Amino acid sequence: MLALLHSEWFKLSKSKIIFLLFVGPLVGLFGGLAGNLLNVGEQMNQWYIPLLSMNLTYAILFLPLITGVLASIICRYEHQEGGWKQLLALPVTRGKVFLSKYILLVVLVLFIQILYLGAIYAVGIIKGYTDPFPLTIVWKSVVGGWIATMPLIALQLWLSILFKSFAAPFAVNVVFTLPALLVVNSERFGPFYPWAQPFSMMYIGGSTDDVFFVPYDQLLIVVGGSFLVFFLCGYIYFQRKQV
Amino acid sequence: MEYIVQTNNLTKKFGKELVVNGISMQIPKGEVYGFLGPNGAGKSTTIRMMLGLMKPTSGNVEIFGKDLKNERINILKKVGSLVENPSYYPHLTANENLEAIRKIVGVPKARLEEVLRIVRLQDVANKKVKGFSLGMKQRLGIATSLLNNPELLILDEPTNGLDPSGIIEIRELIKNLSREYGMTILISSHLLAEIDQIATTVGIVNKGKMIFQDSIEKMRMLAQQQVILRVSQHKEAWRVLLANGIKTELAQGAIFLEDGSDHHVAEAVRLLVQQNISIYRVEDDRKSLEDIFLQMTKEEFVK
Amino acid sequence: MMLQLLQADLLKIKRKGMWFLAVLGPVGVVALQMVNYGVRKDYLLQQNNDYWGSYLLNTSAFTPLAIVLGIAILTSFIASIENETNAWKQLIALPISKMAVYLSKFIVLSFMLFVSSCLLMVFTLAFGLLLNFDQEIPFLMLLQYSFFPFLAALPVLALQLWVATVSKNQGIPITTGVLGVILAYSAFFLPDWMIWKWPTLVNEWDNPVINVWLGLSIGCLLYMMGMFDFTRRDVK
Repeated sequence: MLALLHSEWFKLSKSKIIFLLFVGPLVGLFGGLAGNLLNVGEQMNQWYIPLLSMNLTYAILFLPLITGVLASIICRYEHQEGGWKQLLALPVTRGKVFLSKYILLVVLVLFIQILYLGAIYAVGIIKGYTDPFPLTIVWKSVVGGWIATMPLIALQLWLSILFKSFAAPFAVNVVFTLPALLVVNSERFGPFYPWAQPFSMMYIGGSTDDVFFVPYDQLLIVVGGSFLVFFLCGYIYFQRKQV
Repeated sequence: MEYIVQTNNLTKKFGKELVVNGISMQIPKGEVYGFLGPNGAGKSTTIRMMLGLMKPTSGNVEIFGKDLKNERINILKKVGSLVENPSYYPHLTANENLEAIRKIVGVPKARLEEVLRIVRLQDVANKKVKGFSLGMKQRLGIATSLLNNPELLILDEPTNGLDPSGIIEIRELIKNLSREYGMTILISSHLLAEIDQIATTVGIVNKGKMIFQDSIEKMRMLAQQQVILRVSQHKEAWRVLLANGIKTELAQGAIFLEDGSDHHVAEAVRLLVQQNISIYRVEDDRKSLEDIFLQMTKEEFVK
Repeated sequence: MMLQLLQADLLKIKRKGMWFLAVLGPVGVVALQMVNYGVRKDYLLQQNNDYWGSYLLNTSAFTPLAIVLGIAILTSFIASIENETNAWKQLIALPISKMAVYLSKFIVLSFMLFVSSCLLMVFTLAFGLLLNFDQEIPFLMLLQYSFFPFLAALPVLALQLWVATVSKNQGIPITTGVLGVILAYSAFFLPDWMIWKWPTLVNEWDNPVINVWLGLSIGCLLYMMGMFDFTRRDVK
């Protein structure tokens, strides 16, 4: 298993697309520096300004879309030049292959989230914030957002295996991502829509008594449930795929 | 001599790498030109420059007596090509694939069926190409190159992926096109045995340079041709011939005459018969095109 | 010749799902409003007495996003059709000019976007009528909001087509599209000269027609740049 992960990482590191990971923090930086229309008043921590203003664009639009691109990239080299037959003819189980690609994607997203943390910090430094950096809150946001993307990554990995082109999985991704802009406003549907979860879990205005910003049962049911569904679909599809 | 294709000192540099180095190719009209060379010798790049897919770093290409740079579209109207792996649209049927090209070259719709028939794909005309075997895709590529009834046909590895009967079919097709339609054909291939059978002119490139360009007979003559004599007492025969000043080699239980000219062979046979040595065989030790080719490219290597 | 090239390109996009997406775009944009008004119609009607006006405004909030993403997807598709088996080398070896090849693809894409815009107008009108506003239908505004974004987005189309045709890895144009949609979403904060702001029809002079003129002119310019770069490149 470890060998597979090594090999997947090796393949990816050779592709120059690794710089894509740094696009995330750039987006965050841009959002934080440009959007300074928020006035949080005297009581609130200054750091909340970028956290709130960056969050929407980053968590609803950027994260889901870019994880889709990463998933397509990770499947690209197999789709090109002969397809999956070379990889699958090796002494590895299909399940392990699927899992190793998934794990790599999840790690990459964590890396992007950490870079985002860095971007928030940078925004504050540039703007000269004097308030203390709310580390726990930011961590909750970053890790929460990370967990919320896990089901989305599973779906996107499945789509990237299904479709050879980049555009097709991206189109599906877009179809589910855009409505999230509306759905997050709805109190009724917001908690149930998987594509709204990254935003909800990164939204620092949520309740502070739970471990994350959303109640545990929402986390389990929506995020956990959609993760199970998407992951199993992809896993089973891959087991059966004719190569 | 009317040259259909003439390149003048064609050169292509990729960064620091000189992939094509001053190639001056001349293809006479109606010939089947075999374009040979090891992998990476610059064949594909040269072909791409001939079709205007790549721009030369220096030098120029003249086809049908016109400069490619100025009259590219006019020239390409009478050229058909298949470069490296066949290109196609997997989600379209064979007919649709051809139609996508036909619309641009402007030949009548009936031509679609004609070319499919020529390559024996008429039965799968409405099948999506993504389900085709490698050989079928290759044949479709050849059919596409024939759509506009070209005067010049450029084929890069046309028998790639074909089974023996497929290879023979293509070979016959090429011979036919040359003979019946007077098409000038450039074939680049690694299958030297194939080229041996159909080429009339040969051009060999190695490391970007043209090291040989002439008719195929001249190429065959280049190789040392020996005559083998299989006799009853070879040691004795060898001594006799040597004593009479005829250079021979004794190897593998036979006599190898170094000079295979008629006069020498007759002389040798007469001498041996006079000595009462039985002569069982007089054979041509013909070097195959492969051996000649390896010999030539190796010499360059050593240089 | 151009006509034949266009016909050939239209043939090539069959069965790729591109037309489906061109229809899905406007359907999706109006569907979002169906959900929006379906869930909280009364609240929305309370906000403003100009029912049609705010309906159109609500709908058109999503149009720039759908257009920018749609452009990224369609251009990537049309480039990947040729990239799949490197059909460029077959196409360019035909007796046609490279400029014509590029132009043909641009026209096909523009045509598809135009069709999407027409459908957007039809669907917006249809659902609006269903909502029973009982007010006069602002046809001019409807036309504006349906077609102006498309015209204003032409520079984005030109840019995406260029990136998609010259990139071997389609990840690059798609990522460009993602960045583009983020910029389009943050249009409020963007300076007026950025091309991703134009489909939102917002500018400091409050005149959407300016965005249309910008779209047409800069679109032409970017298209030429892309076309000339495409022409001078070697086909590997």
